[in-house]
Amino acid sequence: MRMVTYIARRLLLVLPTLLGVITITFILFQALPIQDQLDSHFGNPPKNHPCAFIGSCPCDQDNQASVRGNACTCYGSNVTVTKSTICQDGLYRIYIHKLGLDQPIWGQWAGFTWRALTFQWGTVENKSYIATSQSFSWLKDVPVTQAIGWMLPYTLELAALSLFFILVIAIPVGNLAAVNRNRPIDQVARVISFSGFAIPAFLLGSLAITGVVLLLLPSTGFYVHSPWCPPGEPIYNEFQGSWPLATKSTTTDCYTGLTFLQAAKNDGYPSWLVNGYASKPTGFPTVDALLNGQPWIGVDTIIRMTLPALVIAFGSVAGILRFVRNSMLEVMNLDFVRTARAKGVPEKVVTKKHAGRNSLNVTITVLGLTFAFFIGGFPIIEEVFQLYGVGRMLAQAVVTPLSYAIIFGSTILFTYIVVAANLIVDVLYAYLDPRVRLG
Amino acid sequence: MAAPDAAAPPPPTTLRKPRPHPRLDQAKRSWYFFRRNTLALIGLAILVILASVAAYAATTPTPWYKMNLYCGADYGPLNKAQSGYPYNFSTANYSGCSLVCTYEVAPPGNSASFCGGLWYKTPTDIAQSEDFAGMVPPTVSFKSGLSTGPLPLGALSIASIDSPTFYNLFSGLLRGSDWSLMFSVGIVGIGAFIGLIVGAVAGFFGGVVDDVLMRLVDIFLSIPVILFVVVVVIVTTATVSDLGRLGPANTKLLLLVLAFALVWWPFYARLVRGQVLVTREQKYIEAARASGASKARILVRHIIPNSVYPIFVQFSLDVGTIPLLIGGLAYLGFGPELFPNQGYFPEWGNLAQLGVGQITSILTTCTDPSGCIIPWWQLFFPGLFLFLFAISVNLLSDGLRDAFDPRLRR
Repeated sequence: MRMVTYIARRLLLVLPTLLGVITITFILFQALPIQDQLDSHFGNPPKNHPCAFIGSCPCDQDNQASVRGNACTCYGSNVTVTKSTICQDGLYRIYIHKLGLDQPIWGQWAGFTWRALTFQWGTVENKSYIATSQSFSWLKDVPVTQAIGWMLPYTLELAALSLFFILVIAIPVGNLAAVNRNRPIDQVARVISFSGFAIPAFLLGSLAITGVVLLLLPSTGFYVHSPWCPPGEPIYNEFQGSWPLATKSTTTDCYTGLTFLQAAKNDGYPSWLVNGYASKPTGFPTVDALLNGQPWIGVDTIIRMTLPALVIAFGSVAGILRFVRNSMLEVMNLDFVRTARAKGVPEKVVTKKHAGRNSLNVTITVLGLTFAFFIGGFPIIEEVFQLYGVGRMLAQAVVTPLSYAIIFGSTILFTYIVVAANLIVDVLYAYLDPRVRLG
Repeated sequence: MAAPDAAAPPPPTTLRKPRPHPRLDQAKRSWYFFRRNTLALIGLAILVILASVAAYAATTPTPWYKMNLYCGADYGPLNKAQSGYPYNFSTANYSGCSLVCTYEVAPPGNSASFCGGLWYKTPTDIAQSEDFAGMVPPTVSFKSGLSTGPLPLGALSIASIDSPTFYNLFSGLLRGSDWSLMFSVGIVGIGAFIGLIVGAVAGFFGGVVDDVLMRLVDIFLSIPVILFVVVVVIVTTATVSDLGRLGPANTKLLLLVLAFALVWWPFYARLVRGQVLVTREQKYIEAARASGASKARILVRHIIPNSVYPIFVQFSLDVGTIPLLIGGLAYLGFGPELFPNQGYFPEWGNLAQLGVGQITSILTTCTDPSGCIIPWWQLFFPGLFLFLFAISVNLLSDGLRDAFDPRLRR
């Protein structure tokens, strides 16, 4: 089979998966009160209409007495709708109709699926915690897709960095452990990899922060400031945000010690950094730093990313290391390895060139299998390190009052990411191992 | 008479040992290989210790009282034998402070206002006691149903700054072990059971059934676990807040377990299906089919028992993962609450999460120029329990795999 055919066939398989996830999301969405469904699509409250929904609106139909029982206040006017109020303006129905909630269930499903596939993922609810919180208030009334567009590049860069760490750590250590089977090196690798399984990411992240705080600590107490920072600047605060703090008197970053705020404008930030949460124009922090001619800021960001990326990588390395080791052990027993040895090929070359060849395959396969786990860890890590990525946005959105728009938007987004990653893995795998696409 | 046949074999001088039963033999060999694996033995030992701690904690109620004083950011146990650790209350003015008295089991004959064992009986007693002689006393309140524990490590106990509640970390960790273990085994058990059935059916029947079921598995596998659990918990708690007699807190726990099981089965389904695909091509299945066994019988009697082994390894691996994931959920605010409605539900995950929260809040809010004390134990000990449990389970399962897989034990 040619590569193109293989990819085309694989792409066809993606569609049912996507539809399935969207359907599951739809079923879950159905369980929400209609009020929340409307809010998550239109934001809350809908603009330019005097009597929309606050609280749980009791009106089910126009010109009928409310049956829901709860009183609610109409937005902008002081009309209080009670149980016996007649709903006359029909606004409730207008919005229900706009969202297609008055259709039969199949129509609703079709509408939901269409919106999910065409990136109409709703609007961040005004009343939600995330829209009222200090660090995310700029998400108020913003379409979810746009919010994701601001936050996703950072997460992708973080993911790329941790993937890099995974590859750099897992393959050599796994091979080494297999070659030195049951020797001390193997046992150490085993314990290290199991530690990755055994420490929850949020704990490891907090421990890492505390550790760095302790390292950067002057010997007196925990009122912490780093050696290159003026006193009165607790270093822990330096872990908040993807960028150095805006409210800084000096141009030195207390975390990394790098000088970077030369072009300080806009309360300490260069103009291309929007209040410390996203960069312009691409959103990828390092790329933007280079494009804007301030590479030091990019270096600073990478250093800030290193710790979280290592924490994420540590969790994934555990599984991959084991698989690399075990598959290496199996390959070492195969005939071609014996042949190579019999021919007199040096042992180093045998392990590196003959047997070691397949570690990349194994790594990619296992990564593909565990990618959902990998990406699922991001909300927690980004929350621990206070990074402005989609993960943290989700972690903030699940604080009550919830933002259903973000929750469902990110569910679909994360699924897209996982599906895309699996697709890439399969194609890579077919490229690396011709048996797959031939068989 | 015929002479005795010269060719007759002489009677055997020694009786040959009967051949051991093949399965028994296999088990013996496996045990032999398992025994040689030191790390696996260590894992088993840790697990046994944790399980006995859990059993002890589950069966031992110990009455215990504690008083905590809250003054702004300062908090700590108020002890007659004031050790000065972590806070020494030397100020003479306690106005605006609150003394929270916690107890779990009120001794018989005492009302709810009993606290502090021999010292005090009522809030007035406390305020007028010699401890506060000549001082402005704090307000006194009582809380019931809180932590106790077999370890009276008062100096290390700590209260949450934000809420006037109190828990003892160590007794909580011990008390929480039974629930942590039960959560893991329960969730993975349900998931493995569903996965076993789905995987076996898919692999055995093949064709359309296989395609449909595996697409379903693909769908579930492409949603990140934590995200899916969070969404399911959110949505179900929005609709079902209280399942009849269970009560809101227990309903939440049940929903959490079910949500986890709902995302956990696909892993097993895929695993079992792969194994069944191999098994069903074996000669003995063909033989069973030739002798007229029904499909259901082949599936239940031959295929499932022979494909079940990788499940055990995966099961033991996953059991160690669940408490970590619950800890992560707790961090996002979806784990079991430590104080659900006057109750007390310690669990490793929520204790770890509270520890993280406390350290973070101290690190960010500390304004004392001479230094603040980081309650490192709040992070370290829950982490240690989670770590020990997960690592022992992992070591054990690794040893099991090495012992049971004939290819790996050469």
